[in-house]
Amino acid sequence: MSYQPRIIGFLCNWCSYAGADMAGTSRMSYPPNIRIIRVPCTGRLDPLFVAKAFQEGADGVLVAGCHPGDCHYAEGNYHARRRYALLHLLLEFLGIEPERIRLEWVSASEGKRFTQLVTDFTEQVARLGPCQAVGGQS
Amino acid sequence: MDLSQAIRDKARELLETGAVKCVIGYETGTDGINARPAFIYEAAEVDRLIFDETCGHNLATYLLHHRAENIAVVVKPCDSRAINLLHGEHQIERDKVYIIGVVCPGVVGRQWGVKGRQLLPACQACTDRNPVVYDYLVGEPVAEGAPAPAPPLPEVEDLERMPPEERCQFWRREFERCIRCYACRQACPGCQCTECFVERLEPEWVGIRIDAPQNWMWHTIRAFHLAGRCIECQACRRACPVDIRLDLLNHKLAWEVAQLFNFRPGMTAEALFPLATFVRDEKLGVGEWASS
Repeated sequence: MSYQPRIIGFLCNWCSYAGADMAGTSRMSYPPNIRIIRVPCTGRLDPLFVAKAFQEGADGVLVAGCHPGDCHYAEGNYHARRRYALLHLLLEFLGIEPERIRLEWVSASEGKRFTQLVTDFTEQVARLGPCQAVGGQS
Repeated sequence: MDLSQAIRDKARELLETGAVKCVIGYETGTDGINARPAFIYEAAEVDRLIFDETCGHNLATYLLHHRAENIAVVVKPCDSRAINLLHGEHQIERDKVYIIGVVCPGVVGRQWGVKGRQLLPACQACTDRNPVVYDYLVGEPVAEGAPAPAPPLPEVEDLERMPPEERCQFWRREFERCIRCYACRQACPGCQCTECFVERLEPEWVGIRIDAPQNWMWHTIRAFHLAGRCIECQACRRACPVDIRLDLLNHKLAWEVAQLFNFRPGMTAEALFPLATFVRDEKLGVGEWASS
């Protein structure tokens, strides 16, 4: 069996998780490499979560939330956007390829787009191979 | 009048009038070369105070341990930004702190044996000579041009040019020396959480083991918690017993914050931190995947 990347997906409860649900109820398939973790909002997502995912052996991390302007809590995703810009730059500086981290906006109706996104991202991470940057994990 | 004498005179006045309970300054350490922090409670003791190029410590950090009393503190320009940082984050009460600002000639690293005169690289590149906040200024203020954003340190640029694997090797070599003594955290004026994430057990973010993944986690999150807050006083670097290049991580983030948000922390106490605010329609050009 070829290399299968491990991808952690942090999805916001209100849009992206519902988008993933939409993909499921519509019986659309996407790679099983993604392990979805539901969070209340992308604004809830502490950068610790992403760092911890890599530390525990994730090869890629997808963060998805409501489109800007659509946040259930009005502004959580705006805060996430700033935070993730800096986290992205920091992780890149530490030697994690920027292609391994992805911040996306997926609405509840975008089931099709969610499957496309996960498929693309899985292929992208698979091309990079296992993440070696953190070290020491099998 | 030399800087040391001016500090002593002011300290004596403050202690004699009872304006402050303690003056935090520098004194010559036991090796006779390097300065160390001094806590002066009696006017008779003020002659211990000195100021020279070995006075590298950021004394603003100690204000966090003396929140209840009126305290005077000797600060260099970068340390004065730490005071604004702490004031802005409501960690200290400004009217309880008497700030003795020093016009800074730059400081040297720790001296072994003979006193050297080579300024720290950060001090060589530094353009902030005057404290940004003070109640009493020691030394003649230096005429400063418009604060131009300093270019990134050459070493940061070198790292950015490396392929990711090499960069990752570089940091692995740095982090593998870490003994996780947390001296960097203790020395840092910005690290003031009463419970640090590394000491949380539920959930346990960082294991107690000293190995590559745990060290990586500590350094990544330490740096990130200071994103947009680090005033680059080099206290963490100076405190590190195994000489990890924490300054490069801090500088990278400080530089990116300056580029993205046109922000330098600690310049005023009122400034809103970039990660505590947002602009609705901003395009940061990083992080957010180019889906649109």
